[in-house]
Amino acid sequence: MLNADRGKPQALRDAAVDRGSLARGGGQSRWNVPRVLSSVLVAVTFVLLSFGALVTTYEAAMAVPDWPGTYGHNMFLFPLAEWLGGPWDLFLEHGHRLLGATAGLVAIALAVSAWLWPVGPRVRWLAVAAVVLVVVQGVLGGARVLLDDTTVAKVHACTGPLFFAVTVALAVLTRRPAGVDQPSAAFSLAATLPVAAYGQLVAGAQLRHLDPATTPPVFHALVGTHILIGLVVAALAYAIAAATWRSVNRAAHRWSAAAAGLVSAQLLLGGATWVAKYGLPSAVLPDAWRLSEAIVARSGSAAVIVTAHAILGMLILAVGVVVAIAAAGRGVTAADAKPGVRRTAAGLREALV
Amino acid sequence: MSTSSKSSRRPCLIAAILAGLIATGCSPTPPAAFRLNMVEAISPTAEKDSIAAEQALTTEQQRQVATILAAMFGTPDEPVCLPEAGLDGSKLQLAAGPVRSDIVGRKNGLYREHCVHCHGITGDGLGPTAAFLNPYPRDYRPGVFKFKSTERADKPTHGDLVHVLHNGIAGTSMPSFALLSPTQVDALVEYVKYLSIRGETELALMRYYFELDDEDEGKLPETREFLVDEILQPIADKWASAADAVIDVPEPPADLDLAASVAKGKELFYGDRANCVKCHGVTGLGDGQANDYDDWSKNIVKIEAKLASLAGNELEPAEHRWIADFHDVLDGDALQPRTIPPRNLRKGIYRGGRRPLDLYYRIHAGINGAPMPAAAGTVSPEEIWHIVNYVRSLPYDFDGELGVDRSMAVQSNVAGALAAQETSDQ
Ligand code: HEC
Ligand code: HEC
Repeated sequence: MLNADRGKPQALRDAAVDRGSLARGGGQSRWNVPRVLSSVLVAVTFVLLSFGALVTTYEAAMAVPDWPGTYGHNMFLFPLAEWLGGPWDLFLEHGHRLLGATAGLVAIALAVSAWLWPVGPRVRWLAVAAVVLVVVQGVLGGARVLLDDTTVAKVHACTGPLFFAVTVALAVLTRRPAGVDQPSAAFSLAATLPVAAYGQLVAGAQLRHLDPATTPPVFHALVGTHILIGLVVAALAYAIAAATWRSVNRAAHRWSAAAAGLVSAQLLLGGATWVAKYGLPSAVLPDAWRLSEAIVARSGSAAVIVTAHAILGMLILAVGVVVAIAAAGRGVTAADAKPGVRRTAAGLREALV
Repeated sequence: MSTSSKSSRRPCLIAAILAGLIATGCSPTPPAAFRLNMVEAISPTAEKDSIAAEQALTTEQQRQVATILAAMFGTPDEPVCLPEAGLDGSKLQLAAGPVRSDIVGRKNGLYREHCVHCHGITGDGLGPTAAFLNPYPRDYRPGVFKFKSTERADKPTHGDLVHVLHNGIAGTSMPSFALLSPTQVDALVEYVKYLSIRGETELALMRYYFELDDEDEGKLPETREFLVDEILQPIADKWASAADAVIDVPEPPADLDLAASVAKGKELFYGDRANCVKCHGVTGLGDGQANDYDDWSKNIVKIEAKLASLAGNELEPAEHRWIADFHDVLDGDALQPRTIPPRNLRKGIYRGGRRPLDLYYRIHAGINGAPMPAAAGTVSPEEIWHIVNYVRSLPYDFDGELGVDRSMAVQSNVAGALAAQETSDQ
């Protein structure tokens, strides 16, 4: 649509988008259940991952030693007062489990609805993959606790964002207009962004779940890798934003600009995270840069910085997925279509006056 | 383009990535283990007279040390301590092992939660982040601590270590743990002592191999008399008696006004007896003698010197083996030695605390493990207070030209200081 529409006035292009999104509604009912459920799933998963990130920051994973129950209770029957009024670590870990279970149930409902509504094979299989992933992820979480093993913790930390990426892809694809579009030239470039962003999360998980026996040279290599991939992600985000800057594919333009912004913030946050966790890297800084006060370990602000760095990493992955789908020309999102409706009306009025 | 066939591969791709992750990550993390002090094991010592004997302790001997230590101190996950060590087992339980918290939110594994990424599981200062930090995180194993209220060679008191943990060490990456509860800090201090006593015991055992008689056949006796009475007890006694070694600090001289005291301190600073100028420089910027090492780096420097002395010689097989061992050790068990610069006294950043009392302790006893000497032998307590006042005035003493101190220094005995510096440079 976008390429074919090149040259038409904006109002007409918007109208085309709008027709597309209206036509899609004419399935079984006025309600597009997969679309609603996928949005719910993205929201639940985001909170779930944030809790997971907090569990890691506060090293609260072993606050509940059993699994799948919580201190002998069925997870859902664990007394609410004890959860909300108990220790912070217990609040985080049990909350993470409840959210995980909720995400699993929503994912199953979404997969079922995807087979009942006419969403196309792509969404259907992706919804099934989401269910598989969330189940595997739950089992990994249980194994992490039962084995108390940092290696499992690392894998658990890597599968979470993968699941998040799938839920975001589902949310975007269930919104896509009916017309099949030509992928924009930036697609092959844009598709690398989520891959690199995911690689960066894997590298970051190695640092967050650091085995204390890691030797300084290995740590050096891990940090080097994390910084290197971080710069690659940033370069990709900027390149994609530049490539789509004047594109008629406004969704790709907007989302890649967002990715570039997030990545910039993330670079700064990464530096702050280092300082919050390990203090200034005094061996690689000039001597004049010494702080006159010792940093206070385990402060609330340090926890916020470190956790925000992990969460922003997952958001960059999510936006990367949206950018890639948008650049494929398939994903003009509802957010794009709605202002279009308004603009169409305004444009029409203008033409009538 | 067939979009549907392309996208139906997507779930397979995801499954493949997942399988790959699990496959690569499926070797579980081994339980935490203490590491042997390899630098000591291969160090050339005075006792090891023949060059052939300068190779490492034999593998057999290293294994014996590890076995004895495991018996006496347990593992990082399950520390044990003999009553003679004088440590509180319940505090150690709180600090040791992996991080976990119970139903009332009490956290165990505090050392691994808060300290291990810098100080390492063994307390050898070889945590993952160590190479990025300057100064390096402290290696507790020699039992040498810097910022304390006791005489130079004595152990810190429990309170000294609590103080370090509470305030952190300004100007280094050692953070303040003021947000932990007193119980937690207490447990961590106990664990630091545990790691120290364990490390000192290890050193004593390794050194003992060179005092063995021929009939011992290169094996340490594994008796209670030897291990507990002869090795552990003296070490534990030093820790237990730290409180008796606290420096007596007289009241600051009250009859002298501050300006006069600062002037006296300045004279002493540049004078022959205290001779602070030799290291801290005529400007106080720490630009005097700056090519010395602390005790931890000195060990490595000593081995490197030995290595250099072997270069060009005909080497025996034992020497080849020693050199190979040495390179192994440098790769994984030691950090690159670094010189320790004297402090820039114009910045007002004092690692051991900025109270006048802290500075009194530093100047009286020097800094154990660092080249900074004790002034106590050469200047009187009252004079130390004058120096404290002068040191405290230095950060504010800037009138646009640091050279003002230079003329003062020339009047006094800076020529001698510089000559001393030159000889030690060579
Ligand atoms: C970010 C790295 C880092 C962390 C985390 C850290 N330390 Fe340190 N620590 C250091 C450094 C660096 C030094 C050396 C400072 C110096 O030599 O001036 C040090 C020194 C020390 C000393 C020696 C003080 C003295 O008087 O000589 C003790 C004791 C100590 N740390 C205990 C701890 C304990 C206990 C914890 C955990 C609760 C901890 N440290 C966490 C970096 C760290
Ligand atoms: C042989 C060299 C040498 C001499 C002589 C010397 N210092 Fe130092 N001084 C050092 C070094 C090295 C350090 C840094 C030690 C460290 O970082 O652990 C230091 C550190 C200090 C500190 C900082 C303590 C802190 O808490 O950070 C003060 C204050 C100080 N010296 C004062 C003096 C005074 C006063 C004299 C004379 C009485 C003196 N020094 C003599 C080498 C010396």
